[in-house]
Amino acid sequence: MALYFGDLLPFSSLFLEGLWTAVYITLIAMLAGSAIGVLLYLGKAGARRALRLLCTGYIEVIRNTPLLVQLYLIYFALPAVGINLGPVWAAAIGLTLNNAAYTAEIYRAGFESVPYGLREAGKALGMKPAQIVRYIVILPATRNVFPALTNQLILLFLASSIGSIISLPELTNATMTVSNTTYRTIEALTVGGLLYLAVSAVLALASKRAETTLFRWAVSGHV
Amino acid sequence: MFRAFGWQDLIPLAKGAWLTIQLCAVSGILGIFFGLILGLARTSPSRIARWISTIYIFCIRGIPILVIIFFIFFGIPLLFPGMELDKFAAAVIALTVFAAAYVAEIVRGSIEAIPKGQSEAAEALGLDYWRKLRYVVLPQAMKIMVPPGVGFLIGLVKDSSLVTVTGFIELTQAGNIVTNLTGDPIKTFLVVAAMYFIICYGISRLGRLYERRTGIHINALKLPEPAGL
Amino acid sequence: MIFVNDLHKKFGPNHVLKGVNCHIREQEVVCVIGPSGSGKSTFLRCMNGLESITSGSIVINKHTLNDSKTNINLVRQEVGMVFQHFNLFPHLRVIDNVMLAPLRVSRISKEEAHAKAETLLAKVGLAQKMDAYPGNLSGGQMQRVAIARALAMDPKIMLFDEPTSALDPEIVGEVLTVMKDLASEGMTMVVVTHEMGFAREVADRVIFMDQGLIVEEGSPEQIFASPQHERTQGFLSKVL
Repeated sequence: MALYFGDLLPFSSLFLEGLWTAVYITLIAMLAGSAIGVLLYLGKAGARRALRLLCTGYIEVIRNTPLLVQLYLIYFALPAVGINLGPVWAAAIGLTLNNAAYTAEIYRAGFESVPYGLREAGKALGMKPAQIVRYIVILPATRNVFPALTNQLILLFLASSIGSIISLPELTNATMTVSNTTYRTIEALTVGGLLYLAVSAVLALASKRAETTLFRWAVSGHV
Repeated sequence: MFRAFGWQDLIPLAKGAWLTIQLCAVSGILGIFFGLILGLARTSPSRIARWISTIYIFCIRGIPILVIIFFIFFGIPLLFPGMELDKFAAAVIALTVFAAAYVAEIVRGSIEAIPKGQSEAAEALGLDYWRKLRYVVLPQAMKIMVPPGVGFLIGLVKDSSLVTVTGFIELTQAGNIVTNLTGDPIKTFLVVAAMYFIICYGISRLGRLYERRTGIHINALKLPEPAGL
Repeated sequence: MIFVNDLHKKFGPNHVLKGVNCHIREQEVVCVIGPSGSGKSTFLRCMNGLESITSGSIVINKHTLNDSKTNINLVRQEVGMVFQHFNLFPHLRVIDNVMLAPLRVSRISKEEAHAKAETLLAKVGLAQKMDAYPGNLSGGQMQRVAIARALAMDPKIMLFDEPTSALDPEIVGEVLTVMKDLASEGMTMVVVTHEMGFAREVADRVIFMDQGLIVEEGSPEQIFASPQHERTQGFLSKVL
C-alpha cells in the first residue's frame, strides 16, 4: 500500500489544537500535582500517625492502579454526586491527583539522597532544623531529583494521551479523528506519534540544558 | 434495563484480571527477552548496534503507549494485508514493543552501574567481550536490575489497561462490560481498581522481599522510571 | 573546660562507650588514638551532641549537654567540628560555606561575615579559592575550608574527627599545618587521629582508647616512649 500524507493537510489545525490541549493539561497537572505532592510528602514524613497513614495509603493506591481506571472513576463518579465537569476538567483533575502521588515519592527520594553528613555539619554549626532544611538540604535535594522531575513531566505528557479514552480532545483523540475521517490510519498515527516524539525530545533536551545551567555547582553527578 | 451490581459481576471481572495477568506474563517475558538484547546492543562496542537500539528506545519512550497500541492494532492489518491477528496477539505485540524499550533502559543502567574497574580487571585477565559479559558484568548487573524490574512489571500491568481500546477483554474492558450491564460504573471500577491494586501491590511486596533478602536497594533515581503512570 | 563523667553510649545492644571519664583544660590540645571500633569517634561526637548520651554527663563551659534546659545549639556555637569527610555544602561557594553559620546563626551583617570569612580563608591559605565550589577543590583544600567554616563561629573548642583519614598521604601535611597553627594560637582542641606524628609533636596530652574505655593517657612522651598498658603497647607496635 502507498502512504500519502496529503490527505492530512486540511487537518493540521486539528492536530495542533490537540497538541495544545495535551500541553496545557500536562502543565496544569504538573504544577498543581507538584504542589499537592509537597503536602503529601510532608504528611507522609510528618509526625502525625493518622496523617502519615492517610498520605502513604493515598500514594500507594494511586501508584498501584492504572491511570485509566482513575480517570474512569473521576469521569463517572463526579456526575453521580452532581458535579458535571466534562472531560477537560476530569482529565486535569485525574492527572493532577495521579501526578501528586508520584512527585511526593520523588521528593522523598530527593531528601533521602542528601548525605546525612551535610545535616550533621549544619547541626555542628548550631543551626536549627528548619534552617538546615532551608539552607543546606533543599538545593542538593532539588538537584538530585531534577532529572526525575523532568522525566515525570515527560511521562505525564505522554500519559495525557489516555485522556482521549474519556474523550478529552487532545492529540491522540485528534489523531484518531483524522484517521477515522480520512482512512489514512498509518499516516495519521505517524504524524501524531512524531508530534509526541518532538515534544518529548524538546522537553528532554531542555531539561538537560536547565540542569547544567541551574546546578553549575554540581561538578560530578550526584552530591 | 440495568440490574444492580452484585456478587455475580465479580466473575467476569476476575476472569478479566486473569487475562490481564496472562497478557502481562507473556508480554513481560517477551519484553525482557528483547529488552535484554536491545540493552546489550545499547552498550555494545558495535556502533551500528548502538545506533539502532538508541533510536528504537528513543522513539518508543517518546511516544505514548496508547499510540503504539493503535499503531499495532490498526496498522499491522494495513501494512500486511491478509494477516489475521487475534486481539490477544495484537495486545501482546504492542506491549512487547513498548516493554522492550523500557527493559533495555534498565539493562543499560544496570550495566553502566557496574564499576569500570570490573570490566578492566576482566579484560586484564584476557576475557573477551562475551566472556566478560557472561562471567563478570552480567552476574553483577542482574542483581541490581531486579528492583527497577519490579517497577517495570507494575508499570506493565497498569499500562495493559490501555489494551482495552482494542476490545480485548482484560480487566478494564471487563469493567466496561459490567458497567454496561449494571449501569454502575463507580462500584464496578472501584472493584476493578482494587483488583489492579492487589496484583500490583503483590508484585511490589515480592520485590521488597527480594530487597530485604539480598540487601540490594538501588537508588531508583539513577535508573529510568520504568513504564507509564 | 570540658568535664566528661562516666559517659556511656549504647547503640541498641551495642555498648560503645563504657564509662569514659576525662577533663580537658582550656588551651589544651588532646589527641585521641586507638584502634577502629574503640569508640573514639563516638566519644568526640557526644561532645557536641551529635550523638545522644545514654548515661553519665558532659559539661562544656558550664553547659550540661544532657540537660533538657540546655540549648544544644548555643553549645554548638562554642564548639567547632571538623569531619572526616569534610561535609562541605556542595551548592554553596567556598566563601558562602564559611559565611552561612555567622549569617544565619549569629546573625551578623553580611559585610562583617564576608570580611571574617575572607580573613579565615586567608588564614588557611585559600583566599584565592573564595568563589570556587567545593566540587572543584582537592580533598586537602576542602578540609581546610571546613576548618575555616568551623572557625567562623569563633568557637572556644575545636573537635576534629579523623580530619586527615580521607586524604591522600601527600596532602595530609597541608591540613596538619593549619591545625598546628591553630594549636599554637592557644585553641582548645580535641583531635581523633591516626597521625601519630602529629600527636607526638602537637598534643599536650594523648588519650588511648580501646573497647569503649580510656585505657591510658599521658603526655606524648609517656604514651609513645613508655606505654604502660599492654593494649597500648600492642596498638602502638602496629601503627608506629
